[in-house]
Amino acid sequence: MKNYRKIISGRTAVIGIPYLWLLLLFLLPFLIVLKISLAEPIIAIPPYTSLLEWGDSLWPTIKASLGSYLFILEDSLYINAYLSSLKIATISTFIALLVGYAIAYSIAKAPTRWRGILLMLVILPFWTSFLIRVYAWIGILKTEGLLNLLLISLGVIDKPLTIMNTDLAVYIGIVYSYLPFMILPLYANLEKMDFSLLEAAADLGCRPFKAFWTITIPLSLPGILAGCFLVFIPAVGEFVIPDLLGGTQTLMIGKVLWMEFFNNRDWPVASAVAIILLAILVVPIMYYQKSQEKAIS
Amino acid sequence: MTEINTIAPWTDASQKPYIKIINVTKRFGDFTAIDNLSLNIYKNEFFSLLGPSGCGKTTLLRMLAGFEKPTEGTILLDGEDISQVPPHLRPINMMFQSYALFPHMTVEKNIAFGLKQDKLPANEIKNRVDEMLELVQLTELAKRKPSQLSGGQRQRVALGRSLAKRPKLLLLDEPLGALDKRLREQTQFELMNIQEKLGVTFVIVTHDQEEAMTVSSRIGLMDAGYLTQVATPTDIYEAPINRDVADFIGNVNFLEGTYQGKNEIGTQLDSDDAKCVVYATQPTTADIGQKLWFAIRPEKLEISKAKPDCQHNILKGKIEDISYVGSMSTYHVKLDNGKVLTACRANRERAAEHHLTWEDEVYLHWLPNSAVVLQS
Repeated sequence: MKNYRKIISGRTAVIGIPYLWLLLLFLLPFLIVLKISLAEPIIAIPPYTSLLEWGDSLWPTIKASLGSYLFILEDSLYINAYLSSLKIATISTFIALLVGYAIAYSIAKAPTRWRGILLMLVILPFWTSFLIRVYAWIGILKTEGLLNLLLISLGVIDKPLTIMNTDLAVYIGIVYSYLPFMILPLYANLEKMDFSLLEAAADLGCRPFKAFWTITIPLSLPGILAGCFLVFIPAVGEFVIPDLLGGTQTLMIGKVLWMEFFNNRDWPVASAVAIILLAILVVPIMYYQKSQEKAIS
Repeated sequence: MTEINTIAPWTDASQKPYIKIINVTKRFGDFTAIDNLSLNIYKNEFFSLLGPSGCGKTTLLRMLAGFEKPTEGTILLDGEDISQVPPHLRPINMMFQSYALFPHMTVEKNIAFGLKQDKLPANEIKNRVDEMLELVQLTELAKRKPSQLSGGQRQRVALGRSLAKRPKLLLLDEPLGALDKRLREQTQFELMNIQEKLGVTFVIVTHDQEEAMTVSSRIGLMDAGYLTQVATPTDIYEAPINRDVADFIGNVNFLEGTYQGKNEIGTQLDSDDAKCVVYATQPTTADIGQKLWFAIRPEKLEISKAKPDCQHNILKGKIEDISYVGSMSTYHVKLDNGKVLTACRANRERAAEHHLTWEDEVYLHWLPNSAVVLQS
């Protein structure tokens, strides 16, 4: 009986500790942000009204306002920023999928002794700071940067290309930064694939390219979905990359959020921006969850 | 005469082989998997490639399927050189050892896959799929996915899928390897019936000699990239060309000795193992004084307590070991000079009165025409 109890408490700890972690570091901050989003901005410290007002009565009155949300929905800046973020994230995810699939597929098909090294090369960039790697791209992409120097010295172009401070630079930055998140789940999936299925397809008269579409792609769908969500979700809220590589016209919701917090000091609107972003991202996350459940069953 | 030819076309020089493998060599780097191999296979044959693992039988099969290209030599199918034709353009289908069923498709869609590649009309595909489902008795399971099937059912889907396109040649790579013994035996007969019914030429790769003996019209015995003997199951068993072949198929006793010439009984061998002269009916081309072997199958060695009533081929020994498997008993008999021979006997009576037991003094005897004379 004593042992049994010990097992139960052990299991409770294993499940409980991560949940406590999530509760303290995710749910609680989320509730604070939600609370701020329902407040109104004032010039004070902190710069928003409190949710509960202690009047003369015994019970506090709740002073919540949807003003920040209405403000966001009325101003096209925010809606455009959301749409533009979704667009940039979608296109980047798509490019990362194309590049990542090719890389993951070649690693999975490489001789076994090479695979470990190739995978390590994919993970290697994580050994340096994300910020430094994005800064490094400035050195490559700027007008007098490495890329332009190379292309001019090769005689491909006469005048330097303007890549820095454009959407293109943002795409390059996002695809570069999140590519490992695409490659790893795809590799995990493709590595398990039984390549004799492709031989069977060829044997039954299927051309190699068609076999890839009808056999390889459907079977790697769980990996494709996992990779796409792992890239898409952080890319939508990305702030550093558009801030460093993008131009003034690059509109992304992460940047807007930052501006609201630090430039306008409108914490309620900034919080509302964050809450709406989360609500938008819940949709693909739920879809991903469902597809995972389906894959397990 | 023609009737005999359709049963054994390889005996008739006027018959044209369906598959001609001509001087084919396959090398992987420094390793030679197939070494200058030539083989003819005839239409409607059920041909087995039999050999230990690593003997090159699967490589040969994969060259027929087109997954490997011969380093040297040519392969003709129905007179056409297919050596360089990619697998998806060959009128040949293969049943894979792992079955290689498409896990994301139902049984029905797996079987229809090959037909769809040929862009057949939908109703034609449906008819053929139904026909195949019926042939392999899977009509009820048409909508299942491979993961919802048993091993035997998967094996039948694989067979149905590989037969759906009505290939000129069906290749089977260890088709029954994953099934348990009883199911395997049952499936062997099903395979033979299907082959007979559809009239497709089958080439099967197996390491299971019993399976090869059961299903084949002819067996090609392979070892280290060579064909050691190509013959009917009966000939492989009863007339092996050397000791390796005799030993690979079934159990066998060898008596080593020196060739003494022949008399009215047949070949005389002065055997060191038997310490006497033994006889076999089969003639030999060997020179007198040359080393020869007699191969005698255990079931052809008679074992008895009483001395047999004849003059020749009698050896005396003591029973050292008995293995009883119900239908048969196998006796290990140690001769006076220490050589151990194996004899087996069908247990035709229940608890036979004169049954043999350990340490019994027994006589072994064989008819001269039961022994095979081997030069190597």
